[in-house]
Amino acid sequence: MSEYVVEMKDIQKSFGSVKAVKNGFFTAKKGEIHSLIGENGAGKSTMMKLLFGMYPIDEGEILINGNNTDKLTPKIAIDHGIGMVHQEFMLVGELTVLENIILGFEPQKGLKIDFDAAKKEVKKYIEQYHMDIQLEKKVNQISVGEAQRVEIIKTLMRGAEIIILDEPTAVLTPQEAQHLFKILMNLKKDHKTIVFISHKLNEVMNISDRISVMRQGQYIDTVEKGNTSPLELTKLMIGREVFLNIDKTYSKAGKTVLEVEDVWIPSQKETSKIRGMSFHVNEGEIVGVAGIDGNGQSELVEAIIGLREVEKGSIKLSGKNIANKKTRAIRKSGLSVIPEDRNTQGLNREMSIADNLAAVEMDRVPYSKGFMIRQEAIVQNAKEKVEAFDIRPDDYNLPTSSLSGGNAQKVVVAREVSMDNKLLIAAQPTRGVDIGAIESIRNSLEKAKKEGTAVLLVSAELEEIISLSDRIIVIHEGKITGEMPADEANENNLGLLMMGGTHE
Amino acid sequence: MSAIIENVDKIFNVSLIYATFRSATPIIFAALCAALTQQANILNIGTEGIMLVGSFTAVGVSYLTGNWVIGVLAAMISGAFIASIMAVGHIKYNAEICAIGMGINMLALAVTKLLLNVIFKTNGTFSDPKIVPIPKVHFAFMDDIPVLNQLLNNWSITEWLAIVLILVLQFLFYKTVWGLRLRAVGQFAMAAQTAGIKVTQIKYQAMIASGLMGGLAGAHLSLGYSTQFVENMTNNRGFMGVAAMYFGGANPILTALGCLLFGFADSVGARLQAYGIPSQFVLMMPYIVTIVILAISMYVKYRNNKRKESSLLAPKAQLKTQG
Repeated sequence: MSEYVVEMKDIQKSFGSVKAVKNGFFTAKKGEIHSLIGENGAGKSTMMKLLFGMYPIDEGEILINGNNTDKLTPKIAIDHGIGMVHQEFMLVGELTVLENIILGFEPQKGLKIDFDAAKKEVKKYIEQYHMDIQLEKKVNQISVGEAQRVEIIKTLMRGAEIIILDEPTAVLTPQEAQHLFKILMNLKKDHKTIVFISHKLNEVMNISDRISVMRQGQYIDTVEKGNTSPLELTKLMIGREVFLNIDKTYSKAGKTVLEVEDVWIPSQKETSKIRGMSFHVNEGEIVGVAGIDGNGQSELVEAIIGLREVEKGSIKLSGKNIANKKTRAIRKSGLSVIPEDRNTQGLNREMSIADNLAAVEMDRVPYSKGFMIRQEAIVQNAKEKVEAFDIRPDDYNLPTSSLSGGNAQKVVVAREVSMDNKLLIAAQPTRGVDIGAIESIRNSLEKAKKEGTAVLLVSAELEEIISLSDRIIVIHEGKITGEMPADEANENNLGLLMMGGTHE
Repeated sequence: MSAIIENVDKIFNVSLIYATFRSATPIIFAALCAALTQQANILNIGTEGIMLVGSFTAVGVSYLTGNWVIGVLAAMISGAFIASIMAVGHIKYNAEICAIGMGINMLALAVTKLLLNVIFKTNGTFSDPKIVPIPKVHFAFMDDIPVLNQLLNNWSITEWLAIVLILVLQFLFYKTVWGLRLRAVGQFAMAAQTAGIKVTQIKYQAMIASGLMGGLAGAHLSLGYSTQFVENMTNNRGFMGVAAMYFGGANPILTALGCLLFGFADSVGARLQAYGIPSQFVLMMPYIVTIVILAISMYVKYRNNKRKESSLLAPKAQLKTQG
């Protein structure tokens, strides 16, 4: 028997015409924490979804504990001792935590589900790994960190010996991430194998035994942690050195552009309701909003751009109240938006790059005259923007659905920053975007600021918030827990405020 | 109007309770048919058609075999057959379920009409002494107790069965493994799939169970509620079932309560007719009730949601805060 519990060799996988994985290779030893790193779109998640049987492989072989497995399905993978914690949790919100945990292999007593036996079993794991979980609550009432622990217990209950975690820390505060790492170390002590997908190098260097790198769907290398450095890993990941530090200019803030005063905003989730928030953004400054996903950021942005009701308070754009106004009217009074989900809010995926680039001002000169659209103006605009923002491929007649995440986002950014509006809202502008595009998008924001735009930046990436913002406000459960100039901020003090702690 | 006021005790009396339940029962079966698939997030708009085919099959087979049990079973099988056509179209070939459902409804109307013509050489209505109805349950001891007699005596077997089935489905959905999986599939299929549940298998099972239930709904209508087959005899009861299912959020007990409202409107309407209310108005009653019920249930849902989402009201539980 080989020393590996998992061997994946010569893996090929295409989705339609897109080759997601070519010559994929991955091995894992029993009891190790093995990180799989790469840029977004490098094929990490796809590789692991293949191992978990979520898609069939096109070519290659997967050996689990030395057994060749073709035609893997999640069920067979589970039977082979593989468990996966997905980036988006696979939990049914309307069911209780306990129901979610036992789903698929419920203990029975007569015709009924034996909930007592199930509870006993689950409690064993909760105690063994010091996880703090409320079994009777519905999943849509628990926190993200807790939901993640539920997912880990789910895999353990199914007898997982190999646990795959797909970017588990993306949704956690630094403190919650530390808690997760402790759990992972305990699992390792029990000889479980952990596959940790990430693109955060400091975390990877912190907990891994070995690290495998993928780039553009291809296997690059596997290294021992002791023999490598973050710098070397970066090079392996992107094939060149990158410097993400843009040189920030501290500007003197000008007039107030956006003024939010004591706003109250409804939300489906208790922790996402905004309860009495006030802040302002001035001309020529970037104000960063830091917070764990789901603490009201999306609601705040939606309210400012007119997609969500404001129950109380006022939002002023250049002195004019825009609360509860229609998005179109707000945009006309000087608003640009890079929405948090480019696919559903930022772009029409079926329409061309050219049309998307002109979409917001389609009803205005030069794109239209009377009720007629002027195709030449749209094409002219597309030519300029595709070049200026380096959108690839440069065929502006392609539908935006054929673009990679980074290039699709560049289309949104190109459109929004070129309108020279007074206010720019950038919500998660670099989420799911490769490093090259991140660099260009951040530079666009910086440029907009230099030209006097007031920028409100909402991001889950602390590094992004700290490096771009002039001022940072931290929100927790819909309230501002702290505000500071960016040069006083670091992961620790922001992390603490994000957890609802107080400033000093 | 004065006639109604004078006779209010004749309209609203003990016998109205059974009359309500009696006219609700076919809708209850239809609503349970719709609830079974709704739990898997499939809107069974074809309930009407499945039920109509069931009605026809039940009468036809009962007539030919002289056995009501075989008639009912045949109706259930015919319902399952129709439902499996819908299932293959929707689950395997990914067709829009509402389009298939409406297709099935139109097909059922035409096919039953055709077969009525071809097999029984008649149009409109088919009734014959050789059709064996579903027997009624008679308790001799109740004969002397007027209230009990009016309330519980001489129910058709399928009327008792409706009550049993409401409870069985309630148990099935919320206490059994299959029910848990069904709900998981309906609410977040991807999560169910990664938990190792065969999602398409569960969906097929739900569709077929729904077909069996829809067939039974039809059999009850033509052999229990009446003893004949009439063209389009379901007369939108399938749609009312779907409406009641929405009202009850696919929860069997709440759904059945919604059906009772329809039954109530129907039987009060029938009584009012005797006192000079125009028959056209009476015929409108169930539909008006449908619209009102749906409007109210949507409004209540909207208001509850809004209240739940509001930031102005204090949160119910003390939020966890830490420093």
